[in-house]
Amino acid sequence: MTVDLQNVGVTLGGRAALAGITARLAEPRVAIVGRNGSGKTTLARVVAGLIAPDTGQARIGGIDMARDRRAALENVGIIFQNPDHQIIFPTVLEEVAFGLAQQGKRPREAEAAARAMLDRFGKAHWERAATHSLSQGQKQLLCLMAVLAMRPRVVVMDEPFSGLDIPTRLQLMRYLQKITAQVVMITHDPGHLRGFDRVLWLEGGRLIADGPPDRVLPDFEARMLDWGGSDDLAHLAC
Amino acid sequence: MISLTSPVETWAHRIPAGAKLLALPFLTLALFLTGRPWALAAALLVIVLLYLSGGAAFLRQGAGHLRMLWPFLLLIAVWHSLTGQMQAGLVVALRLLAALALANFVTMTTRLSDMIGVLTWLLAPLRRIGLPTRAVELAIAMVLRFTPMLVENGHRLAMSWRARSRRKPGWRIVVPMAALALDDADHVAEALRARGGILNDIPDGRS
Repeated sequence: MTVDLQNVGVTLGGRAALAGITARLAEPRVAIVGRNGSGKTTLARVVAGLIAPDTGQARIGGIDMARDRRAALENVGIIFQNPDHQIIFPTVLEEVAFGLAQQGKRPREAEAAARAMLDRFGKAHWERAATHSLSQGQKQLLCLMAVLAMRPRVVVMDEPFSGLDIPTRLQLMRYLQKITAQVVMITHDPGHLRGFDRVLWLEGGRLIADGPPDRVLPDFEARMLDWGGSDDLAHLAC
Repeated sequence: MISLTSPVETWAHRIPAGAKLLALPFLTLALFLTGRPWALAAALLVIVLLYLSGGAAFLRQGAGHLRMLWPFLLLIAVWHSLTGQMQAGLVVALRLLAALALANFVTMTTRLSDMIGVLTWLLAPLRRIGLPTRAVELAIAMVLRFTPMLVENGHRLAMSWRARSRRKPGWRIVVPMAALALDDADHVAEALRARGGILNDIPDGRS
C-alpha cells in the first residue's frame, strides 16, 4: 500500500499547520517525528482522511480517504494519543465489534470476528470487561485490537506510547512488530523507532528531513538537545 | 460499568429479555386489581420468594437497590395517618413496593445488551419507513461509556482545585467541567468518524 502526499497544506484557525508536504510512503514502517506543535498530529489526521487538506492531495492506494469514507474504512485505521478519546463503548467486545459492524458485517458475524481478534491477542477473557476499568496500557491495546480487527492496510498511530511505563511500552511495541499492515507512527521520541524503515521530520508544519532512520535521527536528536538548551517556551505562537 | 445487572447468575437471567419486559406490565397491572392489604402483602411475599430463588446474596442485593424507597413509603404512611386513612396508605405503599420490586427484578436479571436488543426490535418499524434508529442504540451505549468518564473529570477538577485552595470547589468547577465535556465530545466525534460515523447507510458515510 502506498500513502501518497502531494503538496499537502492545512490551515487551522488562520495559521498554516502544514505546508507543502510531499512524500510517497511505501515502506512497511514509517515514522513522523517532530516537536509538539510541529504538525505531526494534523498530518496523521490527513493520512487517515479525518481532515481534507486545504491544498494538495492525500491518497492511499490512489483513493482520497477524506472523500471516500467507505474506502477509508477498509484501508486505513487510526489510533489516537489518548485511548479515552477513542473508546466509544462500555464493554470490550462491543468496542471491537463496532468497526466490523460499520464495515457491513451482521451483528453476529461482527461479534464472532471480534472474539477471534481478542483470541489472537490472548485476550478472550476481556470480552465482557468494562472498558472504563482497563488500565491505560490495556486501553491502548484495546484500541489497537479494535482497529486491527477491521483489517486496514495502513495503521496510523499518534504517539501511542505516551504516558505508558517502559514494560507496557515494550509489550505494545512487540505487538506492533507482528502487524502485517503498513504502520505510520507519530512520535517525538527517537527511542521508539527501532526497526523503522523511514523517518519524516516535521518542523513548523514543513518537512525538513526525510530518509532512513540512521540518516535522519542523529541530526534530529542533536537539534532537539540543542534546542533543549535554549528557552523557546518564551515564544507565543499567535 | 454503571449497570444494575446482578453478577449473581440466576435462572431468571436465562429467560429472554423480551418475555420479561412483556410480563412486567401485566403483573404490575394485576397489582391494581385488588385493594385489600392482605392480598397485596401476599403478592409482596411471592416477590420476595422470587428474589430468594436467586439465592440469599441476590435477595440482599435487590433489597439494597430498593432501600432508597423508604422516604417515599414513610411520606405516604405519615400523610395517610394524618388524614385518617391508614388502610388506603398501606395499600398504596404495598403496591408501590411490589411494583418496583418486580421492575427491579427484571433489571437485575437482564443484561444491558439484551435490553438494547429488545429496543432495536421495537424500533424495527421505524427503520422500515427509513428512519435511522442506530443513533438511538449508539446513544445508550455512549451514555454508559461516558458517564463514569464525566464523573472522573469532575473528581480531577475538584482535586486540582483543592490542591490550590482551602475552600471547597462547589459550583465553580461546573463551567470547566462543561468545557471539558465539549472537548471530549469533539474527540469522540472524530473517533466515530474514523470508524465510519453513525450514518453508514448513506453513501460515503457523510451526513
